[in-house]
Amino acid sequence: MDMSQYRDLFVSESKGHIQVFNELIVRLEDNAADAAAVDELFRHAHSLKGMAATMQYQAVADLAHCMEDLLSRVRSGELGFTPAVADILLEGSDVLAAMVAVIEAADSRLPDAADLVKRLAGFNPAESAPSPQPAGGPDTEPGSGDREQAGPTTDHKPHHTDSFRSVRVKTETLDRLVNITGELITTRYRLADRALRCEGAQLEEPLNRLSMLLRELRDEVFQARMLPFSFVADRFPRLVRDLSRKQGKEILFQVEGKEIELDRGTLEEISEPLVHILRNAVDHGMEMPEERLAAGKSGPGTIRIAVSRDKDCVNIVVSDDGRGMDPLRLAARAVEKGLLSREQASALTRHEAFMLICAPGFSTAETVSDISGRGVGMDAVRTAVHGLGGGLVIESEAGRGSRFLLRLPISVSIIHALLVECGPLTVAFPVNAVKRTIELRDGDIFGEREQAFFSLDDRQVPLRSLNRLLGQSSVPDPGALTPAVIIEAGGVVTGLAADRLLGQREIFVKPLGIPLCRIKGVTGGAITGDGRIVYVMDASALL
Amino acid sequence: MSNATVMIVDDALFMRNILGAILREKGYTVVAEAASGIETMKKLHDCTPDIIFLDIILPDANGIELLDSIRKVKPQAKVILCSAIGQEAIVRKGLDLGARFYVQKPFSPEKIAEALESLGE
Repeated sequence: MDMSQYRDLFVSESKGHIQVFNELIVRLEDNAADAAAVDELFRHAHSLKGMAATMQYQAVADLAHCMEDLLSRVRSGELGFTPAVADILLEGSDVLAAMVAVIEAADSRLPDAADLVKRLAGFNPAESAPSPQPAGGPDTEPGSGDREQAGPTTDHKPHHTDSFRSVRVKTETLDRLVNITGELITTRYRLADRALRCEGAQLEEPLNRLSMLLRELRDEVFQARMLPFSFVADRFPRLVRDLSRKQGKEILFQVEGKEIELDRGTLEEISEPLVHILRNAVDHGMEMPEERLAAGKSGPGTIRIAVSRDKDCVNIVVSDDGRGMDPLRLAARAVEKGLLSREQASALTRHEAFMLICAPGFSTAETVSDISGRGVGMDAVRTAVHGLGGGLVIESEAGRGSRFLLRLPISVSIIHALLVECGPLTVAFPVNAVKRTIELRDGDIFGEREQAFFSLDDRQVPLRSLNRLLGQSSVPDPGALTPAVIIEAGGVVTGLAADRLLGQREIFVKPLGIPLCRIKGVTGGAITGDGRIVYVMDASALL
Repeated sequence: MSNATVMIVDDALFMRNILGAILREKGYTVVAEAASGIETMKKLHDCTPDIIFLDIILPDANGIELLDSIRKVKPQAKVILCSAIGQEAIVRKGLDLGARFYVQKPFSPEKIAEALESLGE
């Protein structure tokens, strides 16, 4: 029987098992008495063993077998679930992951695990490194050896179990579906545009029906691309655990809203930025235990990720109760680094001062560690968030902790946009990024030095010329109203004066090729129903 | 060749696919697959397979209890247990409870053939 055709399935299922295995270990570290989790760990090791043996990956099967054996000693109560047990199991799952990666790459040389297999087989808690929890301590219930007879465990359903109602689809197929749907929507607008010009053609009814069907199609196609946040978040507990152990920090890590769904592309783009924020939080945000005690904070530090849905957006908040950031110190640092003048620094709002950590070349870490703090990370985080049409807000209080809010659109490629005419150009602002629009009379606009302002809700708001920002000439029509788009970028509300507002439209955004993609502030392009090319703008990068 | 109908119960899609491929090659019709105890019982409402391949370790149920439930609703179905090395005690219990045969993983066409022969297929 030719087994090679099952390799991909083996790889993807194995990865699922290893992922859940890691999560369970971290969970057991919080609660060593969670017997159902031990059962489940055992089952995952067992499944991996069976699959590997079937595929004749003997090294994988042997390693999984030894891990299963060790787990059955824990299950029988012979061993407690001590940090030493967790460590060696995590080591095992790392080697298993490495083996699966080698198999995925169609390489035949699996990593050598003979030493680990030996250590697993001869595991003796007394020999392992001293640990804060005594082996077989009070967490181990007596009589837990009877667990084979235990009833069904309902609260530990693995989330990767496939049901027959689902099929696996290659992501490229989904990308193509989105593309075709986008083109269909563009074509519909073109059709509507033509229909307007031939009177009496009675196209209204079928066009409306077509719109409705297209909306349904778009929603379904997008739904197919959605993945729960857990898809990226499941590896975070392990990451935070490893980082904090390495540094001797005590950190409780929580994720809320794991089930909330985002577009697969967005998740992919946001995964590394989140890792960076978490690394920063562990590395710089969180104090050492003695420092926390001295600051009057009791117990371990907490890092939380909370995901929530808000209309067409998903908010991801990463917060910690660590040492926080001091805006004055950040501003001073920026002056020191030559990024800002003294005057500029003193004029910064609190919010702007926190955003400084996203400036290229800015780092407040007193020492550059191998974990983070090289001053390149937050810059990349901001770029990634803006690239997705989202926003980043940083809040912090010295001594109390920091909070990073990433506001992301649920899906990226088909967006509601406000079209704006600006000289010969038509540009689009994602509606999510527009606070409101306004029309200003000449008398509404007043100037101070070179800068124009207008009043909005009793506040002075700077007014910039979009034409000038885009290098277009503008022919002001005296006496006419000046339309302006009001946006918020980097915490500052700004008005952008344009020639004409064309209204809201659903557009299908496509990435721009080289060299257009290098233009600052332009994130993509789209074609409207009347064949016009529009450029999609990231206002915050423009200013 | 046989025209008997089969149900496969295993939490790993990988295992179900392999076992399914072996069985189809031998002319069997796989009428249902299930990845959990609950799914198994649900699907047995709608079909009556002649043979059931039952993995004894499942996410939500212990194979022996599930075997018992299967025997109650489909007493005529012939159950073949699928196990791994080291689970002989559970297998013996399963055979006492009415399972007809067992196959030790990893699956191979020969082992499956042997199990089916034991049923008189």
